Amino acid sequence: MATRIQFENNCEIGVFSKLTNAYCLVAIGGSENFYSVFESELTDVIPVVKTSIGGTRIIGRLCVGNKNGLLLPHTTTDQELQHLRNCLPDQVVVQRIDERLSALGNCIACNDHVALTHPDLDKATEELIADVLGVEVFRQTIAGNILVGSYCAFSNRGGLVHPHTSIEDLDELSTLLQVPLVAGTVNRGSEVIAAGMTVNDWTAFCGSDTTATELSVIESVFKLRESQPAAIVDDMRKSLIDSYV
Amino acid sequence: MRLEKCWFCSSTVYPGHGIQFVRNDAKVFRFCRSKCHKNFKMKRNPRKVKWTKAYRSLHGKDMTQDSTFEFERKRNRPERYDRNVTEQTLKAIPLITKIRHERQKKHITNRLADVL
Repeated sequence: MATRIQFENNCEIGVFSKLTNAYCLVAIGGSENFYSVFESELTDVIPVVKTSIGGTRIIGRLCVGNKNGLLLPHTTTDQELQHLRNCLPDQVVVQRIDERLSALGNCIACNDHVALTHPDLDKATEELIADVLGVEVFRQTIAGNILVGSYCAFSNRGGLVHPHTSIEDLDELSTLLQVPLVAGTVNRGSEVIAAGMTVNDWTAFCGSDTTATELSVIESVFKLRESQPAAIVDDMRKSLIDSYV
Repeated sequence: MRLEKCWFCSSTVYPGHGIQFVRNDAKVFRFCRSKCHKNFKMKRNPRKVKWTKAYRSLHGKDMTQDSTFEFERKRNRPERYDRNVTEQTLKAIPLITKIRHERQKKHITNRLADVL
């Protein structure tokens, strides 16, 4: 079920939060509104952790993780690292990596099985990703853009990519990732998908600017719609999605 | 807050001291004082500058390999907080420092004894 929220009047949710199947990281905001939305959806299911990375609030774009692990940039302070280790469950491996491209959330996109990375990532980092996150790593670009982590958001059940991705690219990515992909937008036409929304296997959160059309595309590609009259769902699907890989 | 090492002379840089230089390839250079910073700008190699730790380690003047140095290694994979472990670590830190200083002194006296 997709929810619309704002972080201090800003619709770029994916910048200030990181949602996975095993935990959720949230930035420390001025008011508790942002945190309480996540809390109301996720409290008993997974831990929701308030944190900063390197003293900043843009945690969604700096770190990358899945249910197996969490990778943090070298700018993370020792105290933040310890805080995350204490708050997250033991099966999640928390690791800080030394990488020139420190905004890991922009460079790496992953789910529980596959990861797409920036083509210029270090070999050592790639091995660490495969080891800590337990994923198969592919160096790819999306719509000619090297920042794969920002221009696509995918979970174990589906994915949303940059709207200008060609059909061939979409097919190729879909076979690599083994999930259905759709090229779409979020937050009233923003192309930076991962900055505008955050998703896991059963929920999604989008910026409040997201239109109803975009929201229904998101709900259908990530398979978040639970029980609705089949006819309505089918009708909407036909009118909204023209290529379903 | 983290106590870093000066890139040039390897002494500890305490908060409020020194300069940090970030190069275009994103490598960070920390200096404890302007002496080290100016030497760096002159493109001097610390391994050739007699008073730096890099020179002294390279030429065997100071102790390099020891188990006490392993305690100060930077760790990227933290462990869950355990009060007992923290208490014991805090108790052990001054002991380890004392042992390290003793061993360093020993290393130098041995070296000077060998020369004579």
